[in-house]
Amino acid sequence: MILQFLLAMVATSSFAVLYGVPKNQFVYSSLTGALGWISYLFFCKLGAGIVFASLFASFFLTIVSRLFASIRKNPVTLYLVTGIFTLVPGAGIYYTSYYFIMNNMNQFAAKGMETFKIAGAISIGIIFGFSIPQRLFQLKNR
Amino acid sequence: MSDSKEKLTLAVEIGDALLRSGGEIYRVEDTILHILDAFGLEDFDVYVLSNGIFASANEDKEDSCSIIRHVPLSDVHLGKIAALNQLSREICDHSCSLDEAWERLRECRRLPAPKPWIQGLSCGIGCACFCYIFGGTFIDAMCALVLGIFLQYMRMDQEKRKTSKFMTNIIGSAFLTASSLLFLNLGLPVGQDKIVIGGIVPLLPGIALTTSIRDLFNGDYLSGAIHLLDALLTAMCIAVGVGFIIIIYQHIPGGIKLL
Repeated sequence: MILQFLLAMVATSSFAVLYGVPKNQFVYSSLTGALGWISYLFFCKLGAGIVFASLFASFFLTIVSRLFASIRKNPVTLYLVTGIFTLVPGAGIYYTSYYFIMNNMNQFAAKGMETFKIAGAISIGIIFGFSIPQRLFQLKNR
Repeated sequence: MSDSKEKLTLAVEIGDALLRSGGEIYRVEDTILHILDAFGLEDFDVYVLSNGIFASANEDKEDSCSIIRHVPLSDVHLGKIAALNQLSREICDHSCSLDEAWERLRECRRLPAPKPWIQGLSCGIGCACFCYIFGGTFIDAMCALVLGIFLQYMRMDQEKRKTSKFMTNIIGSAFLTASSLLFLNLGLPVGQDKIVIGGIVPLLPGIALTTSIRDLFNGDYLSGAIHLLDALLTAMCIAVGVGFIIIIYQHIPGGIKLL
């Protein structure tokens, strides 16, 4: 679990480098990514299923990045965009096209639906995360 | 003659730079409106799309002015967004004069992208880590590291040649799949799918997806739809690249069977 956390941190921070995040924000960007990934694993362990785990994890991720944004006085995008990479269903895209080519239509439909569901779940998670009033985040800042 | 035109130009230029670096619509609109307000213009309005800005100020007055700006979709640079955000904060606090603001804007624009080798290395490390946490082994991760570095160099090269984004994504994912199959057939004990899954992470439309959701959430349906379409097409291009290589591979006699 700790190894997963650290690796998710390294992975997110290397993408933060790629997208030109200022150096003094690396720690926060990578923390958001790692926390998102760990919460995803946590919810998976609880038996929430991939889709719901993505939903909760992206919700949590959004809250964390809004918190950092309010503490560090920077746009939320800085933390959210780099953190979300751990949740985007790359494996889903790969397997969907793979089964399509292999003419395995059952698996293709299942994987394709799952990928769409995950993308939808991430969207809903982010939307829920943003519908929390900004006031609450500023209170914590004081 | 007042300098309302110059103030409007500055505000729109800042918005332009924000939009170019990947800021969401709501932020751009908000920034421009706040700056115009801080400069004491009246009757201003602004409309931002994901690839254009329309703004006008001081309607019904002698010095009325307006600007239309076309902003092509381009590379994300989050550092610029942070810097511009800081700049607009200072303009709104009136702690930054007009001339100073122009100078600062120029500085923000000049913020360089990371050096090529840093980009390559960080892309590689990122791919390797993602490969590992998505269930790959150590060897898979090392393969992903190598492929990630090559992938980033390839992307930078294609950016220079102004290849369309679709082709870059198709070629990128095809390259990943092809070389992972090569590793497999060289007899390395690798999980071919895990390498590809780690490797395609930098191609994934994570940024487009998040931006589009946030645009839609803020009620900017048109821009949200543009970004959503971008995300879907990117995902499809990745799928096409992967699929293309697997089809070819199936028709080559010999080789290790997949799954």
